[in-house]
Amino acid sequence: MSFGGTALRPELVSQDGNAMVLSMGPQHPSTHGVLQIMLEIEGESILKAEAEIGYLHTGIEKTCENLFWSQAQTAIERMDYLAPSSNALCYALAVEKLLGVTDDIPERATQIRVMGAELTRIASHCVWLGTHGIDLGALSVFFYCFDLRENILDLQEAVGGARMHPNHFRVGGVQADLPEGYIERLDSLIEKFPGRMRDLRTLLQANPILQDRLIDVGILTPEEAVQWSLTGPSLRASGIAYDVRKAFPYCGYENYRFDVPTRDDGDSYARFLVRLDEMEESMRIVEQVRKELKPGPVMIDDTKIAPPPKETIALSMEALIHHFKIMTEGFRVPPGDVYQAVEGPRGELGYYIVSDGGNRPYRVRTRPPSLYNLQALKCMAPHNLIADLVVMIGSLDPVFGEVDR
Amino acid sequence: MPSTQTPSITGPAIDPPSVRPPIDDAAIERLEPARLHARLAELKAAGYTMLLDLGAVDYPKRAPRFDVVYHLLKLPLRKASVAELATPQRLRILCGVSADGPKLPTVTDLWSCADWAEREVFDLFGVVFEGHPDLRRIQMPNDWEGHPLRKDYPLRGPARERSPRPAFALKSNVQAGTPPSGRTLQALQEQIRRAQSERRP
Repeated sequence: MSFGGTALRPELVSQDGNAMVLSMGPQHPSTHGVLQIMLEIEGESILKAEAEIGYLHTGIEKTCENLFWSQAQTAIERMDYLAPSSNALCYALAVEKLLGVTDDIPERATQIRVMGAELTRIASHCVWLGTHGIDLGALSVFFYCFDLRENILDLQEAVGGARMHPNHFRVGGVQADLPEGYIERLDSLIEKFPGRMRDLRTLLQANPILQDRLIDVGILTPEEAVQWSLTGPSLRASGIAYDVRKAFPYCGYENYRFDVPTRDDGDSYARFLVRLDEMEESMRIVEQVRKELKPGPVMIDDTKIAPPPKETIALSMEALIHHFKIMTEGFRVPPGDVYQAVEGPRGELGYYIVSDGGNRPYRVRTRPPSLYNLQALKCMAPHNLIADLVVMIGSLDPVFGEVDR
Repeated sequence: MPSTQTPSITGPAIDPPSVRPPIDDAAIERLEPARLHARLAELKAAGYTMLLDLGAVDYPKRAPRFDVVYHLLKLPLRKASVAELATPQRLRILCGVSADGPKLPTVTDLWSCADWAEREVFDLFGVVFEGHPDLRRIQMPNDWEGHPLRKDYPLRGPARERSPRPAFALKSNVQAGTPPSGRTLQALQEQIRRAQSERRP
């Protein structure tokens, strides 16, 4: 079996002059996963860069078509493994739209979802900053970032039982209420966060070495960013303040006060600053949710969609029947198609979901932000140094679970 | 308690997009393949500057078998604040493609980002995009046969030759491998003897 694309087709890269073809990856530490880049180089500078993806293709979209609506959620959380809650949220919102129950989701469930989605964004940006730091030779940043992420993973573990994939958001609400002691741990994180961000900014923001490596590297103009369909921090670093939370509000984001950080330069340093600002804005939202958190149910009051509480099964015949039906057959979703997008840590994360009226999704098409963002390398890389290519990959923050699916 | 929804129990729909419930997620337009490229170029000029996504769906029982789905977004091509983007517009274009020799004109000349998306649809559905500069598989290996996201493609795929186990992992080699050194062996025997004597009354 052969994997290499360009490697097997030398006609794709020119063989004349002093140009030389170099394969970078897929086992290269700074490609942030299994990315192969076929480079045409002259000395140290890149003439052409062709990224080869697909090494982590696991067929999640095909798998989803063969699972119940509720089971597919588990597979979907594995796409963007650094921000599982964003994927789960988007899928749940899309299915709820098809079911026509969007307005029946309890308020507390929505608040817990917003909190989870924002915390996962901070955790994801922590991984980005830590690994980006390692790319640039700043090792200590990694430890500061992963310590902060560890606190968030502890919170995810508390609600869902698993650190990386809590599987807490379900169609109809969230699986369980916040456990005892959660709010206290959240409070201590909220207290710790500003100091940690101050440390990170002091370490990095005005650091001349970091600035030398990032400023004016991988510039994207607003036209190019739109042409290559960049979204999220990468688009906002080029000056276009498109944020799904503001443009197409969901989960009541219009009621929270937060800014959309933008920069005008479009280089790697701008993307770096936008993401740092975003972490603080996310924490602002978490604080607001924490203050306004209302008591109440966390799952939709409809036993055709959500299994009844486990305690009632031993007492009510009807609850037992509903539980059995949902566990063995799943629920049915009326036929139709829907596109739902949320603002993931990497940009517009969208799901185009088709139901044929059965108990399994007919088609789950993902709009993976990483795929489109990564593609822009072809536009950014030429006429740069190989060392700068590492910076560009890091500043686009791709996750290969999502690129390859 | 009564259910807030009435689930469809009439059986699977053959053309779900035509019976969709009224959901306000995007404006929808259905186009014929012949008109597709001209209309998309027109829309791009009219302000739909971003191709958000390009995907496909397979409906084997329907007359044009595939739907290629384009999502467009209205964005300015310059710096813009949140207030300027307060009323964004999303547009979904559905284009039916017939089963025999499925093909469509490429839109890579309009949007650079369509490159990988079209390759993915070609790879997983077998829809050919005419005029694409480099149409080859992207997710599956180059020598793969079939298009996995088609509905008639089996979930498990064709059987493939398994790579042989490395020599050190073969059971026969483990048994015939070097025995533990004399000291370890003695210690083990001692441990077993002690355990046995403790168990006896």
